[in-house]
Amino acid sequence: MPKPNDYAILFDASHCTGCRACQVACKQWNDLPGEATVNTGSYENPPSLSSMTWLRIKYTEGVDRGEVFWDFTRDACMHCSSAACVEACPTGAVNYREGGVVTVDQDWCIGCRNCVQACPYDAIHYDEEKGVVDKCTLCYDRVSNGLEPACVKACPTGALHSGRYADMKALAEQRLAALKGAGYDQANIYGLAEMGGTHVLYVLLKHPSAYGLPVGPVTEKRKVASGWLSAGIAAAVLGFAGARWIAERREEVGGER
Amino acid sequence: MTGEWGIYIVLYFWLAAMGGGAFLIALGLRDERARRSGAFLAFIGIVIGALLLIVDLGQPARFWHLLVGFHPVSVMWLGSAVLALSGLGLFLLLVMREWPGWLVWVTAILVLLVVGYTGVLLMATARPFWSGSPLMPWIFLASAYTTGAALLVLLGNREPGLHRISFNFALIEIVLVAAHLIWTYPLAKNAVQAALTGDLAWAFWGFVVLGVALPLYMEAQRRAASLAALLVLAGGFLLRYFIVYAGQTGVLRF
Repeated sequence: MPKPNDYAILFDASHCTGCRACQVACKQWNDLPGEATVNTGSYENPPSLSSMTWLRIKYTEGVDRGEVFWDFTRDACMHCSSAACVEACPTGAVNYREGGVVTVDQDWCIGCRNCVQACPYDAIHYDEEKGVVDKCTLCYDRVSNGLEPACVKACPTGALHSGRYADMKALAEQRLAALKGAGYDQANIYGLAEMGGTHVLYVLLKHPSAYGLPVGPVTEKRKVASGWLSAGIAAAVLGFAGARWIAERREEVGGER
Repeated sequence: MTGEWGIYIVLYFWLAAMGGGAFLIALGLRDERARRSGAFLAFIGIVIGALLLIVDLGQPARFWHLLVGFHPVSVMWLGSAVLALSGLGLFLLLVMREWPGWLVWVTAILVLLVVGYTGVLLMATARPFWSGSPLMPWIFLASAYTTGAALLVLLGNREPGLHRISFNFALIEIVLVAAHLIWTYPLAKNAVQAALTGDLAWAFWGFVVLGVALPLYMEAQRRAASLAALLVLAGGFLLRYFIVYAGQTGVLRF
């Protein structure tokens, strides 16, 4: 679980207008180039995160019983407490830093991309030119100097907040109560239990699946454990069968050779 | 290519499993020479495989970073460790006249881990086609035995059990693959469709028809054993090809 004094971000979907000021601020502060994209039939752009886009606003849009809906979520690294990228990293280059922030040591990363495959949020990506992976740093360079992350600083509607984890959690609970009181029965907080507790918390108006967020993502440790268990059973069963077949067949043919 | 696991990984999975499978099967044979050639095949597969893995890295010169830490939860780290150690074990066996029993055991376990960890590696990802069922290690192990036996047949080993192994494991393999596709379909529709009817259909159906059905038929007819073995090897490659690429479909890049 995140510690009370860890760095944290709160995203409040009920205040987000999808203006993407955060997306632009992230590019500016982190010196990330723009991307050439094509229209995918949505105002959402770019269509996924990449090594050059560490944060974007995800648009979930459609028509439900005659009503148009247009929902926004922040799509970026969640800075998990039990981070799949960290646990999948074979060199320790992707690791937890002070305050629960997850970052990449690009001088140590070997570019194997195991973290890219492991992240349930698709938030870490391979930079072909550098040959290493890249992702959101929770603006560690800013927050460690007492500034807000660039995305939070740029948000004009109060949908993004940052501060101590305990304060963000309290604020999320306060917002949740207010929303429930206002008749949003489906409102919920995402990130309290997911991946060991994430350092980015979301206040959502609908079920997380409605925003395309992974529901109950399985931690890397559990996936690895069940993988080895399955492999162990497979090795025993298939190995035993193979040994028997060789022995049986040898008896059948006897002295043929 | 935007950093997906591509052809080098496919080739590595194939070579390491083929050589490793040949070694593990050869250990069950009586023939001393078969064991030695099994160890040689595994050594070649593992050395070439390891080189492919290094070439595939974004920073190949930093490959040694894998070997100086201790990250047992990372399947990638554990895989690199057993890959390096099994290469060492096989090398020692190849240069020794008499094989000490303990070294054979240790090396066999390491080679088994090399063959088996690749399935665990894919299971421990956020890609639903790889992690949606627990069958990945089963498929890779079964295929290691099929292709390993086929490789020994192709090199002229006449042990009768080899044909049975290759035949039975090919049957098991096709059943496992079918079960895996059905199991993961609800979670990974795009991937399963890519394999059955989409971009990867050539690899999937190539595997089913040329890599499994045809060699099974030829085995049953007891004809052209070498050609059948060759087809089985090609099938092992196609199997890994469609699995590796299908797992990464739907990962939107632009």
